[in-house]
Amino acid sequence: MARLLVQLKLRLLTNALRSSTPAGTTFIISTFFALVVAVGGFYVLALFRGLSASVDLTTVIFTAFALGWLILPIFAFGLDGTLDPAALQLYPLRTRPLAAGLLAASATGAWPAANLLALLGVTVGLAAGGLGVLVALIAVPLQVLFCITLARLVTTSMARLLRSRRGKDLAIFLVIPIFALIELLGQVIPNAAAHGGITAASFAGVDAWMRWLPPGLAAHAIQDASHGHPGTAVARLALLAAVIIVLGWLWIRSLSRALVTADTSTGSSQLRGSALPLARYGLRGTVAARFWIYQRREPTSLVYWAMTAVIMAVVSASTILGPHKHPGVVIASAVVGAGFVGYFHANSVGLTGPPFIIEALALTSRRSLRAYFSGQNLALAVIAVPLLTAISFGLAAAIRHPMQAVPATAVALAGLGAALGLSNILTVTLAYPMTRRTGSPMRQAAPGYGSYTFGGMLANLVGVAVAVTPVILAAAFTSTAPAAVRTPALIICSAAYGLALARAGVQIAAREAEGRLPELCQTAIHSTI
Amino acid sequence: MNQPTSRTAAMELQPTAIEEAEVGEPAIEVRGLRKSFGPKEAVAGIDLEIAAGSLAGLVGPNGAGKTTSLSMMTGLLRPDAGQVLISGLDVWADPVAVKAVIGVVPAEARLFERLSGEEMLEYAGRLRGLPVAEARSRAAQLLDVLDLAADAKRLVADYSTGMRKKAALGCALIHNPPVLFLDEPLEGVDPVSADVIRRLLTRLAGSGSTVLFSSHVMELVEQVCDHVSIIDKGKIVATGTTQQVRGGKTLQQAFIDLVGPRATDEEGLSWLGSSSS
Repeated sequence: MARLLVQLKLRLLTNALRSSTPAGTTFIISTFFALVVAVGGFYVLALFRGLSASVDLTTVIFTAFALGWLILPIFAFGLDGTLDPAALQLYPLRTRPLAAGLLAASATGAWPAANLLALLGVTVGLAAGGLGVLVALIAVPLQVLFCITLARLVTTSMARLLRSRRGKDLAIFLVIPIFALIELLGQVIPNAAAHGGITAASFAGVDAWMRWLPPGLAAHAIQDASHGHPGTAVARLALLAAVIIVLGWLWIRSLSRALVTADTSTGSSQLRGSALPLARYGLRGTVAARFWIYQRREPTSLVYWAMTAVIMAVVSASTILGPHKHPGVVIASAVVGAGFVGYFHANSVGLTGPPFIIEALALTSRRSLRAYFSGQNLALAVIAVPLLTAISFGLAAAIRHPMQAVPATAVALAGLGAALGLSNILTVTLAYPMTRRTGSPMRQAAPGYGSYTFGGMLANLVGVAVAVTPVILAAAFTSTAPAAVRTPALIICSAAYGLALARAGVQIAAREAEGRLPELCQTAIHSTI
Repeated sequence: MNQPTSRTAAMELQPTAIEEAEVGEPAIEVRGLRKSFGPKEAVAGIDLEIAAGSLAGLVGPNGAGKTTSLSMMTGLLRPDAGQVLISGLDVWADPVAVKAVIGVVPAEARLFERLSGEEMLEYAGRLRGLPVAEARSRAAQLLDVLDLAADAKRLVADYSTGMRKKAALGCALIHNPPVLFLDEPLEGVDPVSADVIRRLLTRLAGSGSTVLFSSHVMELVEQVCDHVSIIDKGKIVATGTTQQVRGGKTLQQAFIDLVGPRATDEEGLSWLGSSSS
């Protein structure tokens, strides 16, 4: 059974490589990143040699790998056919040989190998002496086995949920912490480290509680052995092995249940309330109501708002964590935040997908199209204005320049107007289908439309930056004016300016859309929800 | 050898050879409609007339051009050539007027997944300009008739295929359109839901509205349609009353005779069956 399932996994992997579809591209990119993680992980762990906080840092890295194994299989649930027990439900298979086979299948592939190679960096970075290296060579495979068993337990026990709409929603929400982590590791920490905000000593003691988690047991066992405490090292490894056995037992039980349990993925709860809010305010209100509901119920929309907040924080992070507080970064955050609000909604036809047909069949005139775009903007502004204002105030407080929140909010208001207007125009002139690729919970531009995404982002960021220049100049020239006069004047004028920009965008978009509805419908039809 | 006498029969049953039995003014008129996607000609110049009050079926094998034709008739896909008139109004010259008089149920129910069934129908009604109270009232009535009242507050994302089809039909009917287009309305629908849809379409046509739908289900077309058009390789190969197109045979047989049987070699399945080892 183990051999058969390993062969199945290898066949799935080679078929993905041969495939000319996006799955093939996903596989190649995934394998490339696995290689980067293997080499990069080994190198980073090896660099810890001689550092006072080497075991603390190693524990953090071991825990991060375990978290990766916990989260990523939820993403890859549809990608790896061996993760879903339903695929094997119809075959007459006994649970224990099946479990052994699935475990072997899990250990097959680029990522398990990358994980093993990366963690073997401890043989250089943390282990000392023959005993230390020997314990490292036992602890690392145990850590990898722990990760695989944990991932199997989670995916098997959540299999029914992950097949359902709610499970897919959950996978989309996981994009938020992953995106935040990528930004943290790729932008915030390197920038803060470059400015002296973070040093290796900053991590000393972070493993106070992590050392009792299974990844911490593995890391500390290596240190104990290296420091001449073989008894403690063996005790930690035995405890880790016991945890793996318990997880394995739980997984086999879960697998037994999953093989004989009916799929209840269609179950759902009833919504409260009956009326479509705002529907009484004409077509604009009706469309605003639909977009407002989608901003709350559609996971992708919530992810976009969270990503906007993360991006705004990241822009200011180096100043917040660094020794020099540049007040201008709060304004830069507002510009980038507004630009990304526009970018994320600059392809609303593709994002709406095939249901746009229902709207297109009712949008009969330029007037109705104006109502459609302004209704959409209204719903987005209801969220974007308080969000960007709150973040601007928060960032200004974090850099200890609270008054900087005023020009930042003014820039955010003007920038949002420009961003929404631009997004309306781009929705019509640069519409492209959105598709869901295998292994990715978020929809992306359909193959061949990647440049449209880049173009939309560039147009929004540049457009917003240009549009808010007068507001930035006005804020600079009035910086010495009394706050009681400057604050309301700046905010009201910027809001009015933003409103005018948004209105202009609506007018242009409606005029352009009037002659392009059939083409927009085709874009919508070729999108997937 | 497989291009048979049936193909010859198809030639004899060209649309011009069938005497049209007009029962009223045409609600749908299609003239020389063409559409190509690259080198492939999906619709190769079709002409069609559907009388007002008809319940008409458009049947054809997969890839025959049914969905492309319906998309062009409803203003969702720009044709390369040809004209479509709905109640005398040109779909491509006066889309505003045409959209007001048609309802469309696309092949895949294209609904807003994150709205409840109730919100979905109310939204469709409001988009069509119905007052709030009227939109809510009609939405409730349609949900009731379509047997969706118990699921009115559930998200469309959690609906089954049959429920989606019924909800899509509700969206298309909420403004009481004189002309209704449906693309494969019974695809993937259970018999109970199919019966609900069938009864609603019959009732609609009985009240004077015109219904044109595409379908693979010959029995359904034969039972409910008074007018049938058969499309193959982008061309209408037969059109007329159901009686005329059938020509004394079942519609299924007439269809196969017209579009030609698809040859299959079942020699390789000698092992299949309980008498084989």
